[in-house]
Amino acid sequence: MLSHIKFLLALWKANLQSAMEYRISFLLQVFGMIANNAMYFLIWVIFFDRFKDVRGWGLGDMYVTFGVAASAFGLVSILFGNAFLLGDMITRGRLDYYLSLPRPVLLHALASRMVASGMGDFLYGFLSFAVSGSFSWGGLLRFVLAVVLAAMVFGAFLVLVQSLTFWIGSSSNLLQLAVNAMITFAIYPITLFDRAAKLILFTVIPAALMGTVPAEFARQFTWQTLAEMLLGAVVFVGLAVGLFQLGLRRYESGSAIQTEV
Amino acid sequence: MKKYWAIFKLQLANGFAYPGEFLGRSLMILPFMWVFYQLWRVTFAASGSEVINGLTLRSTLWYLVIAEVIELSRPRVGNTISDAVKDGSIAYILNKPYHFLGYHYSVSMADTVFRALINFVLGGAMAWLLVGPPPSFWGLLVVLPALLASWALHYCVAALIGLLAFWVEDVSAFQWIYQKLAFILGGLLIPLDFYPTWLRTIANALPFSSMTYVPARLFVEPSLMAFLTSLALQAIWLLVFVGGLSLLYRRGESALTVNGG
Repeated sequence: MLSHIKFLLALWKANLQSAMEYRISFLLQVFGMIANNAMYFLIWVIFFDRFKDVRGWGLGDMYVTFGVAASAFGLVSILFGNAFLLGDMITRGRLDYYLSLPRPVLLHALASRMVASGMGDFLYGFLSFAVSGSFSWGGLLRFVLAVVLAAMVFGAFLVLVQSLTFWIGSSSNLLQLAVNAMITFAIYPITLFDRAAKLILFTVIPAALMGTVPAEFARQFTWQTLAEMLLGAVVFVGLAVGLFQLGLRRYESGSAIQTEV
Repeated sequence: MKKYWAIFKLQLANGFAYPGEFLGRSLMILPFMWVFYQLWRVTFAASGSEVINGLTLRSTLWYLVIAEVIELSRPRVGNTISDAVKDGSIAYILNKPYHFLGYHYSVSMADTVFRALINFVLGGAMAWLLVGPPPSFWGLLVVLPALLASWALHYCVAALIGLLAFWVEDVSAFQWIYQKLAFILGGLLIPLDFYPTWLRTIANALPFSSMTYVPARLFVEPSLMAFLTSLALQAIWLLVFVGGLSLLYRRGESALTVNGG
């Protein structure tokens, strides 16, 4: 276990050094993404300026929800950037490289890439929480825990969807649809949805575990929200790893010679 | 013009060869329309009024169908052009008997038209199911020229950003910011009618409203006057952008250096 952690830390360090090789481009991506998120959030500022609240949800709630979702998305992009490309790697036979090395295949493949703009998403989430009106030092600790657990659910969801590639051949359209649905539902007020829709948002598209539930936990500690997040993270990570391992038995490639840089 | 029409037809035929691929990518309009319906249904119910700033729930949802069709189908040539500039493949088109920008316009418009058809059928079916038919069937007829002008404007801006690759390494940050400006000032997620007056005035004075708000509003409330005003406004912005694009292209072309190949 310790050797896996050391290995991951070494990978992340190498990824960061690689991303920062082109310093200006890196900074442009980070600050560009912060500006991008801030501009997108203006939509909600305009909406709540006109309509005040949606079934009890106000702008403050949106700041925290959007913040958790942005930081969780950013954390997955920074630490497990290949989570967005796993399906493509399976289709193109690019798992050969990872299979030939004495490290856990999924972990190694996911952590081998960092998306520089993810740093902007990650930082923006904290800025959003800071100006939400719910900020406190205890709240910040809860926010960090909420982001980690939301990122686990989001990352696991990406792996689950793309592991279907082992059976259906190509999952790029499905991935695009799943990611868009997940993010869209995560940053909309949960109070909009009826019971059946909420059930979907906790299971098939677990957007509630990436937005509303962790945001509620960051604002106020309750054992129920903590239990929901922990259970969600454990179940989805377990399902993702299980499905990937099951699919890996069906993996085929043309043994193409590839260079990983 | 004949050669560009031939390129357009060829690319359109490519689209028809892989309809499943385009259909898969277009499915994302469904969750978007569903979540918009939930948001505006609750908002209209909370306001206690059937009409807000001249729009009903039905016209708001149909407005959003057109806005989403424009956004999800618009030409995305920024990366294509910047890649061609960066990897030098622009040189292969420069010596052909057609203009680089004209070629990309024909190709991207063929993709746009094909995607728009599928997006409109899916998004329109969803809206019809949720709120009933469009407010006016005349809208379908008059919106077509406005849609073409909107995509031509989008093409100009995307190409301008792509051409920035002559001077900067990565243009993605510019693309994000442009997209978000088009979201906010174009009225993609919230019709400009619901904006505060000062922001609506700013948005109307900028080109982004001609890209989204103008055609979408024309669709839900068509009239001869609105039709002529919309087209005149779009024509003015087109002149400005086509002029800017030609200027930037000429400057970039003279700065181009291609090594070997």
